[in-house]
Amino acid sequence: MSHLGDRLSALVDGELGGADRDRAHAHLAACEQCRAEAAELRTLKQKLRGLMDGAPAEAAMTSRLIAMTGPGGPMPPRHRLLRVVPGRRPAPPRPGSRRTWPGPRRRRYLVLGTVSLVVGLGTAAFTAGGGGDAAPGPRITPSVEMYSVEHAITTGEVPFPAPTAELSSGAPSP
Amino acid sequence: MRATVTQVTRSARTGRAPLLLAAALAVAVPGILVSACSSQSGSGPAGGDAVSAAGRAAAAGKAPVAARRPATVRAVRLLTQAAQAAITTSYQGREIVTRWSQGSGSVLVSSIWHASGGQTVTQTMADGASLSNQSYLSSDTDGQSPEGVLGVTAPLVQLLESHYVVAYAGTGSADNRTAQVVEAWRSDGSMAARFWLDDATKLPLEREVFDTTAHVIGQDVFIDVSFATPRASPQQAAASASARVSADPQGPWTDPLSRHELLALRARGWPVPSELPGGLSLFTGAETKARAGTVLDLGYSDGLSVVSVFEQRGNLPASLTGWQKTKTGGHVVFVAEPDQRALTWSGHGMVFTMVADAPSQTVEAAIGALPHDGPTGFWKRMSRGLVRVASWVNPFH
Repeated sequence: MSHLGDRLSALVDGELGGADRDRAHAHLAACEQCRAEAAELRTLKQKLRGLMDGAPAEAAMTSRLIAMTGPGGPMPPRHRLLRVVPGRRPAPPRPGSRRTWPGPRRRRYLVLGTVSLVVGLGTAAFTAGGGGDAAPGPRITPSVEMYSVEHAITTGEVPFPAPTAELSSGAPSP
Repeated sequence: MRATVTQVTRSARTGRAPLLLAAALAVAVPGILVSACSSQSGSGPAGGDAVSAAGRAAAAGKAPVAARRPATVRAVRLLTQAAQAAITTSYQGREIVTRWSQGSGSVLVSSIWHASGGQTVTQTMADGASLSNQSYLSSDTDGQSPEGVLGVTAPLVQLLESHYVVAYAGTGSADNRTAQVVEAWRSDGSMAARFWLDDATKLPLEREVFDTTAHVIGQDVFIDVSFATPRASPQQAAASASARVSADPQGPWTDPLSRHELLALRARGWPVPSELPGGLSLFTGAETKARAGTVLDLGYSDGLSVVSVFEQRGNLPASLTGWQKTKTGGHVVFVAEPDQRALTWSGHGMVFTMVADAPSQTVEAAIGALPHDGPTGFWKRMSRGLVRVASWVNPFH
């Protein structure tokens, strides 16, 4: 006597029809081994379905958790958390007080915040990026008078007057 | 080929000898007359043959040794003696320094006193009209680098000999004194400079500098020269007293650094190119301590043009009194008034000040070879700003 084999799982899944389904039922009536296998398959299938039925609940919880991290007030400073008096619990939220952000509004706030951040950071970077490549350093006014004398020593020529040198009338008298 | 030419020449001689003779005379006689006139005019040199030989030698790139060597050897010897005479001779006089550049000119008149082996005092007027309050006393205490010697110093003579073809050009006159004339020629055959050296003392009396198109771009003339030991007149004493303040307002310069020491400064972040465009070689340098930090002086020359580059860490203010902002070779620089011999700009956290005795093309090329703060593009500015903002908020910075 041959057992149902692969046809057993097809039967459990409801995929057999017509004469095949009748012959499979007739075999199950006479074969205790195949009945036991069919029972195990059905049990396994029910467990899997149960898991699948629980998944939407998990997804809903995940959505709620994500919603809690949406735009809201600033996080309290860390030191304030440390100063909470032990044993004094925060007041439970009033029923219906949990703020839920509608999707379009939340997106609007996200876009607005992102744009503000980009514009602010860009403005700050553009302003801070001015002033040339030079690292901050002392403001130098070239001492042309000193340079002129040094250049004259180098070249063997006469020093020339500095741009700011005050001139007075008169004639040289060696 | 050579035989063919000879044959044609012979044929011409036999058929057209009178015509060729007339043509030769027509070409040669004016040339002889021009040569004779130029050798006799004013303070011009009398040794035209040697000069022509040197010029032809320079033009050819490799001169006939027999034609060039005697004039060159004599010229180098004269220039070396002149550099030494500028140190060991006591002299005083007035020096007129004229510069032409891009259609404009400037004139400085300086009174100079130099004691043998001692220091040099100069007192300068601008444009020959007004006397500067400032007198300058050389800061070289050993008197080895006197000012006002028309660029004839030992280091520059060596550079001149290596960059140009120098040749003795005969005798001339300057300041009513007999002078030996030495010329410097470029490799392209153009004259670069002419020196008049006093026949008796070898002191430089006059110098002319030419550009590549034979235009005079600089003339230094020493007049009213006397060779007695200068007496310390009241004016000179006063000048010396004030000069000690004006010459070294921010401390003395170090002794000249060697080329090796100068190039080693690169390791400390100083931009020290070994050469600048125009054939200018780094040949000297020194340091001094100013209030705002160390100042580095780098001297570049080819023996004739001299460019001093002064470097100091920092930035220029937005405006400088006595300076004019202009654009040179695509770079924005400040030019010192009135004679525009000094230029300054900032680049890469450094202030560069260039004092130049060189053709404008050479100065422009030298400016372009040194760092500049170019116009900042948008993205470069944003990138730099983001880095700075990040450094502000970095708690570990």
